[in-house]
Amino acid sequence: MDSKRVVVFAEQVDGELQPIALELLGAGRRLADKLGGILSALVLGHNIAHLPPLLIGHGADQVFIADHPELAQYRTLPYRRVIVDLIKSWPQPPHILLFGATTTGRDLAPRLAAHLETGLTADCTELDIGPFEYTNSRDPSKAGFFPACLYAIRPSFGESLKARILGPWKNPQMATVRPGVMLPLPWDGSRQGEVIPVPVNLKPEDLKLHIVETVRNLSQAVDLSRAKVIVAGGYGLGCAEGFELMRELAACFPNSAVGSSRKAVDAGWIPYAHQVGQTGKTVRPQLYIACGISGAIQHRVGMDKSQLIIAINKDSSAPIFKFAHYGIVGDLYQVVPELIRHLKQAQEERREGANVQQPFQQRLPLLQRP
Amino acid sequence: MRQEIPSTLEEISRGQGPLETFVLIKQVPDPNSKTGVNSDGTIDRAKAKRMLNPFDRYALEAALQTKRQHGARVTAITMGPPPAIEVLYEAIAHGVDRGILITDRRLAASDTLATAYTLAQTVRYAGQPDILFCGLQTTDGDTAQVGPQLAERLGIPQVTYCEAFEIQEGILVARRAIEGGSQTVRVPLPVLVTVANTARRLAYPTLRGMQRVQRLMRDEAARAEVIQILSLDDIGADPDRCGLKGSPTIVAATEKVGEMGGRCQVFQGQPLPQLVQQLTQAVDLFRYTLTS
Repeated sequence: MDSKRVVVFAEQVDGELQPIALELLGAGRRLADKLGGILSALVLGHNIAHLPPLLIGHGADQVFIADHPELAQYRTLPYRRVIVDLIKSWPQPPHILLFGATTTGRDLAPRLAAHLETGLTADCTELDIGPFEYTNSRDPSKAGFFPACLYAIRPSFGESLKARILGPWKNPQMATVRPGVMLPLPWDGSRQGEVIPVPVNLKPEDLKLHIVETVRNLSQAVDLSRAKVIVAGGYGLGCAEGFELMRELAACFPNSAVGSSRKAVDAGWIPYAHQVGQTGKTVRPQLYIACGISGAIQHRVGMDKSQLIIAINKDSSAPIFKFAHYGIVGDLYQVVPELIRHLKQAQEERREGANVQQPFQQRLPLLQRP
Repeated sequence: MRQEIPSTLEEISRGQGPLETFVLIKQVPDPNSKTGVNSDGTIDRAKAKRMLNPFDRYALEAALQTKRQHGARVTAITMGPPPAIEVLYEAIAHGVDRGILITDRRLAASDTLATAYTLAQTVRYAGQPDILFCGLQTTDGDTAQVGPQLAERLGIPQVTYCEAFEIQEGILVARRAIEGGSQTVRVPLPVLVTVANTARRLAYPTLRGMQRVQRLMRDEAARAEVIQILSLDDIGADPDRCGLKGSPTIVAATEKVGEMGGRCQVFQGQPLPQLVQQLTQAVDLFRYTLTS
């Protein structure tokens, strides 16, 4: 049987699988099941023999592994060579090929797509399989019915719209997927899978680029993805100092972080690392407080999976009030300080309550005395 | 402005003459403009206000850095409908030496693959660049794909997410942003660089540059010497690989983003303390202030 193959690129750094690898396996598993096909993971690196069991346990039927010293750190051209050679060695290309929309995936996937002369959709937030009938008088050569093509769904420019992008004419149908959007499958140690080594034949021109130094400073990085509460400020703050107020509100919550919209980053009020949204990070905290953020689709796709969204905005017609759970229409420079005061007061009362409770408990035995 | 330092032979990467720098720029709809938004939420690109893609400002600054430091000749290339010439004027006002506009009806509905093919043909027509700069991505497509796809077509290495760089003896040393940090790489020219929006900001246009643009806009003959307007036939591109025909992807459908499950409960029209009190009564915000 002509089985359809879904391939996901499993990103690793220093032998550690990145969360996006498991997220892609979760998404890829669903697509492969819908197609009645198999799910292959592709992992490149050096000294990574411990990774295939993890990939299989999280949903892969097959793992293609390229283990070579020149692949230890990601570089565009060596990775491109190995993947192109592998795909060309197969009797037919895979149906679907997925990458994470990380700095690595967004560097590598377009190069492969150009080489394979196939379509690539960037930064998808949803993927599905479905039928498609194409009729276009301007381009009759492409007309036809395609029973199972990749629906690559992503937000579309400046509009409260999602675009469904299709390219069923040529395989692999490629997409990059935003980190933090797809859900990984739970680990299943009983899953069986095949591990297939991939030959590595690099050419001198693949090795022109040298990595001088890689610095990852995770302690200083703004960890929006792990924060339980995010207080985000937008263009409505009006100035960089507004973020002081955001920090003050965030400080009321443990495990909190300050986020921002793209406009506030573009205005130079806060570094890019804080940006939430299509060109920033995707987050799903327990609580997201959006201050002075209108809620354009580009921001929304980065945060609308938050468990609870509270919006504070002057403009009652701002789109954020359409999808937040609670909102206050008002000047954030009045609302936020009031909110901070309220939270601090509640904390104070609790502390006092604790002080009162202590002697009360001590008194308890007295009360029980007959 | 400071006198430009002539580049020495040691600084020149390959062949004769100064460093050849190309910068690829795009005109995009202005997302802040309210005009040109249709009732169904889609953008009417003919009516919308237009602007230089904000990311391309960082690419322009990087290209101008090679001019300041190495006396590079800088060529700006853009693809789009005839009004896209405006971004070439803007680039020239900032100090770019010459511009190329590739414009053709057959380019309509190009996806990133078709765009990269067309740009590769344009680059080959325009010369042999030592270094090409692109913005990281555009604000209308947001794909960040055309840069790497163009590098693949040209068969040269790429450095994406570049934040800072220098060129020494034909070698680019660049710092690129990666998740939670940065990476420094070395690569011999020629190379394609996509410039992140954390790189150096573009300054204001120079007075001399603006005067030059005013002259070009008045004088057709002078303009033709500085800005070339090309069609697919001029650059020897295969029309079947451009525009709708050359695009392996199409936008098949757009859907309105649905509202989330619960309807938003909005507090408004009352004195502030009441609003905040209503909110804190509806939501136990205090719960989130407790540790774990």
